Amino acid sequence: MDRIRGLSHLIYLSFIPLFCGLIYTQLFRYYRYQRLSDLNSIRIIGLDIPRGTIFDRNGRVLVKDRPCFNLYFVPFDLKNPQKASSILAPVINIPQEKIESVFRKDCPNPFEQQSLKRDLNEREVAFVEEKGEQLSGIFIQVGLKRDYKLGKKAAHLLGYLGEVSPEELQKKKLKGERIKAGDLVGKEGVEKVFDPLLKGKRGGIRAETDARGHKVRILGKKESSPGNSIILTIDRSIQESSAENLGGYRGSVVVMDPRNGEILALVSKPSFDPDDIDPYLFHPGRPFFNRAIKGCYPPGSIYKIITELSALKKGVITPTDKLECKGELEVQEGKRIRLFHCWVDRETEEYKQHGWIDINTALPQSCNIFFGQVGLMVGARGLLSYGKRFGLGSPTGIDLPGEKAGSIPPPRLSGGALNLSIGQGALLVTPIQLVSLIATIANGGNIWQPEVIKEIVDPLGNEILSFAPHLRGSIFIPEEDLSLLKEGLYNVVEQGTGRNSKVTGLSISGKTGTAQIAKAELELPTHGAFICYAPRENPIISLCVFLDTASSAEAALIAGRILKDIFFPEENE
Amino acid sequence: MNKKKIDWLLLLITILLVLLGIVLIYSASCGIKTELSNLASRQTVWMAIGIFLLFLFIALPYRNLRKASYPLYLFSLLLLLLVLLIGKGRAGSSRWLTFGGFYFQPSEFAKLIFILVAARYLADIGKKVKRFFFLIPYFLLVGIPFLLILKQPNLGTALVLLPISLGILWTAGIRKKHLTFLIAIGFLSSPILWFTVLKDYQRARLLVFINPNADPLGSGYNVIQSKIAIGSGGLFGKGFLRGTQSHLAFLPEYHTDFIFCVLAEEWGFIGGIVLLFLYSLFLKSLIRIATSTSEPFARLVATGITVMFASHIFINIGMTLGMLPVAGLPLPFLSYGGSSLLIFLIAVGIVLNIKKKETMF
Repeated sequence: MDRIRGLSHLIYLSFIPLFCGLIYTQLFRYYRYQRLSDLNSIRIIGLDIPRGTIFDRNGRVLVKDRPCFNLYFVPFDLKNPQKASSILAPVINIPQEKIESVFRKDCPNPFEQQSLKRDLNEREVAFVEEKGEQLSGIFIQVGLKRDYKLGKKAAHLLGYLGEVSPEELQKKKLKGERIKAGDLVGKEGVEKVFDPLLKGKRGGIRAETDARGHKVRILGKKESSPGNSIILTIDRSIQESSAENLGGYRGSVVVMDPRNGEILALVSKPSFDPDDIDPYLFHPGRPFFNRAIKGCYPPGSIYKIITELSALKKGVITPTDKLECKGELEVQEGKRIRLFHCWVDRETEEYKQHGWIDINTALPQSCNIFFGQVGLMVGARGLLSYGKRFGLGSPTGIDLPGEKAGSIPPPRLSGGALNLSIGQGALLVTPIQLVSLIATIANGGNIWQPEVIKEIVDPLGNEILSFAPHLRGSIFIPEEDLSLLKEGLYNVVEQGTGRNSKVTGLSISGKTGTAQIAKAELELPTHGAFICYAPRENPIISLCVFLDTASSAEAALIAGRILKDIFFPEENE
Repeated sequence: MNKKKIDWLLLLITILLVLLGIVLIYSASCGIKTELSNLASRQTVWMAIGIFLLFLFIALPYRNLRKASYPLYLFSLLLLLLVLLIGKGRAGSSRWLTFGGFYFQPSEFAKLIFILVAARYLADIGKKVKRFFFLIPYFLLVGIPFLLILKQPNLGTALVLLPISLGILWTAGIRKKHLTFLIAIGFLSSPILWFTVLKDYQRARLLVFINPNADPLGSGYNVIQSKIAIGSGGLFGKGFLRGTQSHLAFLPEYHTDFIFCVLAEEWGFIGGIVLLFLYSLFLKSLIRIATSTSEPFARLVATGITVMFASHIFINIGMTLGMLPVAGLPLPFLSYGGSSLLIFLIAVGIVLNIKKKETMF
């Protein structure tokens, strides 16, 4: 068989290049490779991956990378880990045992650098450089540190960076992201949601090192490239003002443009420091919990807005009808009689008696008896379904992670019309839903999806994607009902329960809400909330202040201060 | 019947190579502290199963293989489809099927089945192989598994089908102008392959082959480390278990695709030459059996298997020396891996069976 013979020649011939390859690699190049092998001197040094910058709506920087000095070690080059850790421990403020455990940690490639401490200060850098001789395998390299300009004031909104967890790693790998253990990823907030966009491309150096693990020659380098930048709808000044005015309260502030759903500020407290989260991990006040979108609270008297609108729509009451408030009301509930109260006046410490009032007085006075009776006429089903139509009980769709839906229960489990009419019972809403509710009133019926992102731009500044306002739905409110409600909301601030929010020169409309955490009779603390919009005629700001344990009057006071900062910024200077 | 004769030299070399593999795997894995430490003993179990299968295939009349080739072919396509649907994988590819804790690579299996079916078809058409029209079904026979394996993606195994199919065609008597035409088509269509089928990491590997410093962290690193391991072995090597490069987990695949580095580092140029010599003896035995068989099917099967072994040896060692792109093909008998070892041993069993048959005449 000639053909097989021909084939066999080809096969034998194919051994010749392999033979030559062996001669060349093992005999001619032996000394070079032997030296490289003896030193075990090829190191991979990963460079930090630059992330995109986050800007506010006016182009002011909120988060940006800055250069820093990081301390790394190459496990293989650690000649004397005990000694090295004892030298380092007092200087870099990490206990010696902890350093040693980091040194001992299993790693897939002992020639790849591992991080020991990020962002060294000048003293630490000088020390490590000086003791370099004794610290083989430990070196300093320029890296990147995320700089959160607003610190704690925008921690929930912007998020923070942390090492990727095993679960996240798995998830991200499935999505096809190039990521490895130890990489920093966005946790919480904008950093988390837009992590794939913000993240740049990894770069690195392959270097030859000397016996002490110091770079001698760079064999190859791949530049890392920065990620995309993001422009938010947030206004840095409003964000700062909201955080400052909220002060030491536990709670949240959300400011939204009622004309398009753009979030101007979002604050939750207690907060944490995105640059250093460790001290906050075991804080009892749940500082990582973003109350603005995850906190589910009873809406309290704010729900009277819904009660009023649904009653007017159903025609169970007219603008001129009057009902009497004697401070209490006997209601037949099944077989027993329940005594229903108006709210307690702080000055007299007695139940408020409003007398014969119409709806225009009842709302500013937030009369429970009036709205209780109205609510009974509307019925639980009507009160609940009207709330649902405003988007309560379902997530608003804000582009931040972990938003909760709150809860609009079925009528049977709702706690009854009487409770619902004043926002008690089994209702639960989030502050972001409340700001969406007041914005919908302010703009006359449009339910905008709250958004924090405006635009994505590439590192050269070219726009990649811009986000238009998204209308989630709309609700028809008859003109006369709306103006009646708006009149009432204006009076809440002018002469009613929201007086504290008054700002001279600005017309504000709002509604207070005080919800019982448990029973008010037990003298337990209450939630205090205030939602509002301004200016009255042509609203451009809607606002929700929700305090975990305080009065609605305090919430109104905070809201007023924030509005003053927004509309009259110069007066503060 | 007692004239049956087994090619003892071939069998001896085969077993010698598998044992050498186990020794190298032991050396490669003894520096690793984790779950990979018992690789050598697992490979020993695979060897035992493989040698059993080898003798089973010597005992089986190979005509049964001829009869079963089409059903087996369909079955292998089914397995390849299954891999794409539910396969387990790593690094973005899915190559394994798992049952009862065992991982199994259908592409290895498909490679051997393809040789049977190709030989069967060409043996069936006989002289008509000279007419181009009769080659078209043959292209389908090779094309379907090729694309399915490429899709996994497993570039190495897919590409190795090409020399095998061409080798069988050549032996069957294809016209030279047809063959030239096919090779020309192959070269012309490779840009299409580049842009449509290849994954990013595969393109990266090929680019890195041209310039290893293009991606210092990725596949370029593997090649450099592999060359350092081989080069630092020198003439006599560093000695058994004393290789430094291969013990330090420079490469994730030292015990599989880069096993040659362990040999070359520890046993040097001498070890490398001895291995090449063993392989050439091995191939020589296969070729002798192929030439001395008159029955067309058997001859084509023997040729196909010979080309398969030769391609694996050439591509794998060429890759570790940095002469070929990183393709991910095992080195026959030496690389760790159950599926490939079993298939290689079964292939030897089939050839020995042919040899046994042939001596009866």
